[in-house]
Amino acid sequence: MRLFSWWLRRALSAVLTLFLVSVLIFAASRWMPGGFAEVVLGPFASPEQKAEVAAKYGLDESVFVQYWLWLGTALTGDFGISMISGEPVTTEFGLRLPVTAQLALFGVAAAVLIGVPLGVLTAVRAGGRRGGAALGRLVSGLGVSVPEFVLGSIVVFLFSRYALGLTVGGYVPFGQDPAGNLQSMVLPAAVLSVFVIAVAARTTRDAVLNVLVEPYITASIARGESPGFIVARHVLRNASIPVITVLSTITAYLLGGAVIIEYLFNLPGIGTYLVQAVGRRDYAVVQAGVLLAAVVFIVLNMLTDAAAGVLDPRFGAAAKGRKR
Amino acid sequence: MRIPVVLCAAATAAVLVGCSAAPLDPTTATSDVPGYLAVADESVTAGGTLDLQMTVDNGAATGLDPQLADVATSWQLMSLVYETLVTVGPDFSIEPALAESWENPSPTEYVFHLREGVTFSNGRPMTADDVVGSLERLLAGEGVWKSQIGPVEKVSTVDEHTVSVTLSEPYAPLLAALANVPAAVLPMAEIEDGSLDVTAQMLGTGPYVVESHRQDVSWKFTRNDGYWAEDKPSADTVNVVIAGQEQARMAALQNGSADLVMLGNVDAPQLLNGARGTSVGTQATTDFYYLMLNSNAQGGKFDDPRVRQAINIALDRQAMADSALGGLGRPTGVTPAGLPGACDPARVPSAEADLDRAKQLLKEAGAENLTFGLAAYSTAPAPAVAQVIQQNLRRIGVEVTIEQLDEGSWSGKVYGEVPATFDAALSWFAGYADPGMVGKWWNPEQAGFNVGFMEPNPELNEAIDKAIATPEGPERETALQQLCDAVDTDAQMIPLVTRPALIGYRSDALSPTLYETEGYGNVFRGIADFRLLSK
Repeated sequence: MRLFSWWLRRALSAVLTLFLVSVLIFAASRWMPGGFAEVVLGPFASPEQKAEVAAKYGLDESVFVQYWLWLGTALTGDFGISMISGEPVTTEFGLRLPVTAQLALFGVAAAVLIGVPLGVLTAVRAGGRRGGAALGRLVSGLGVSVPEFVLGSIVVFLFSRYALGLTVGGYVPFGQDPAGNLQSMVLPAAVLSVFVIAVAARTTRDAVLNVLVEPYITASIARGESPGFIVARHVLRNASIPVITVLSTITAYLLGGAVIIEYLFNLPGIGTYLVQAVGRRDYAVVQAGVLLAAVVFIVLNMLTDAAAGVLDPRFGAAAKGRKR
Repeated sequence: MRIPVVLCAAATAAVLVGCSAAPLDPTTATSDVPGYLAVADESVTAGGTLDLQMTVDNGAATGLDPQLADVATSWQLMSLVYETLVTVGPDFSIEPALAESWENPSPTEYVFHLREGVTFSNGRPMTADDVVGSLERLLAGEGVWKSQIGPVEKVSTVDEHTVSVTLSEPYAPLLAALANVPAAVLPMAEIEDGSLDVTAQMLGTGPYVVESHRQDVSWKFTRNDGYWAEDKPSADTVNVVIAGQEQARMAALQNGSADLVMLGNVDAPQLLNGARGTSVGTQATTDFYYLMLNSNAQGGKFDDPRVRQAINIALDRQAMADSALGGLGRPTGVTPAGLPGACDPARVPSAEADLDRAKQLLKEAGAENLTFGLAAYSTAPAPAVAQVIQQNLRRIGVEVTIEQLDEGSWSGKVYGEVPATFDAALSWFAGYADPGMVGKWWNPEQAGFNVGFMEPNPELNEAIDKAIATPEGPERETALQQLCDAVDTDAQMIPLVTRPALIGYRSDALSPTLYETEGYGNVFRGIADFRLLSK
């Protein structure tokens, strides 16, 4: 019952958050300088043309009425029509989601398969002079301090001259040409990975270091347990919660569209699409895109909390204790 | 630790040596044929897939209706599918297209003899009714080109292959206006019976048909096998990728995944110098930057013509062309430099005055300590042009604050309110193919977009009307110079410098046909002739 109540409270909180996000983004999109008429139709459009487009997309109503109508249709899964393409927003996002999802998959895989082990390695060997720890610190330090657009620009420049079988841009869907798809996705995924690996490695390192000073680790050593057993049995489980939290944040960030990477490498994903939509005041797309990103964040947050409760029952107990 | 450091240093050195070992390759496109940057080599076997990259897609809410298209990127894409009665040659002479010939029995009457054997891509023959219907639709519609077509009184069918156009008064730019995409011949039977939604689909007589389109991502065009010109188009397929990022387009050009790309950076020829197999052509255009001084600006900053004239005098157009546009632009009056008959920008009143005169005008107007904001959008090289304006005006004691905005915010600020609230703004016009055409936009009652910041000037309007009504000849040259002088003196919208178009292409993969100067920004004008060398 308590678990049900916890989920219910989280769900209500999520709904409230999404409602507030929808109000904020709706208001912000309407307050942006430069209206749809000047941007979408251009300076030469006649007042009649502007009125026609406004009526077609319901923009001739007051902002409150527009919001109410939009909310009503959005709740049925209809997020409106793009003013630029004339296609439903859901269709447009559906076309772009595979690109962003693939990039997110590569990023998360890099964070899990390289970032986390690297973080454990640097923590376990912290203070040592062996290569692994130094490399880990170097990679994580560089990764978080070099901005994506700098690294991305360098990679674009280098690989435009020395392609090595990889391409900058030229995205093709995986189902259409798997080899071509990988050729175009390796470079953006690699640039993105540098950042996510660094974040995952640093978080893991800090979490593991915090666990390593716990008395139960000292007790394990005193019991004569092997280092590998201690790491696997005691350290990883107890250090996992902050790592899972940061991984979920990374996933949500990537699913919302890695804007800079997508733009630099001309990938037709959600990030690029949102930038274009903001530039053109394509309101329906901006509203749906931001809401989608908020949904991803909220859902992943809830899943992370649930996972934390499973991994460490104290979290659930503490949460319940606070809420009573 | 020393060994890895040494190894790293050695590896870095090796990479640097490898980088610098690439031989330099002369990369400036030139041609021996007058008027052309490049001419396709007809001895190369036809066929293959042409890969192009553009900066932006056709992005208007008005969709794919060519009659409502008002920007060059839309004209470029639509020109693959749609064709016009006449077209523009490399020297801006009017050449046959869907009309094989024409007569001009009187200054107000044109008779077009249509080419036989032309069909739309659905196989239906083009008729005189399609031509008449298209022009009537254009004149009845809301498109910007309606006003450029001029005072057309009547369009009628003479016979199945002959069309007559009657004007209410002489209008010199008619043929040039008919040569642009918004005046294309549409399949009127299909539009009228409702089987074609011209805003969502393209169906024309041109060399290609649309196979697929993803907004802001890509286009795929395939050969129109029923195209009327023998052995054209050369390439079987044309893929167009929309790549907003300049670096991505340059990369695609360098690694060969694109055959031709549009470039925006005026330093592109230097940046690409040494990239094996690439060539950059600088196509002069009739497009030009202009400065708007808002006559309705708060505080009456620019309502006194003497203030505007002082600013105009202080502008150094050659400095803009040299430093902001990398030497690729040209000073211009309102008749775009490069067009036959265009006025000489060195002869307008402001060019013949000096900075002392500018200071004197400011003093007389009581505006010696003038400061104002200049709204410029962030797309290069507009910010650089704005900086030169700022430096120029400092010489007469005028302080300019540049407000750099994204294009959406800029549009809202400049066109969003009537009366407009900005002080000054920088933008550019397409210059078109006749020296009298763009001058029409200096009459706010005709242009519409500038009613918020420009007061109508009867003398200027008279000069505009005279320039477009006077037929070719010495009288027209005089009328065009008078138009330039009137715009220069009015100084509410001040012409500055022409805006070049940079085209990068793989010289080892593509033999294109490119004009030296373009009036409608249509880089793809010769696309039916492009030959692929390695595909």
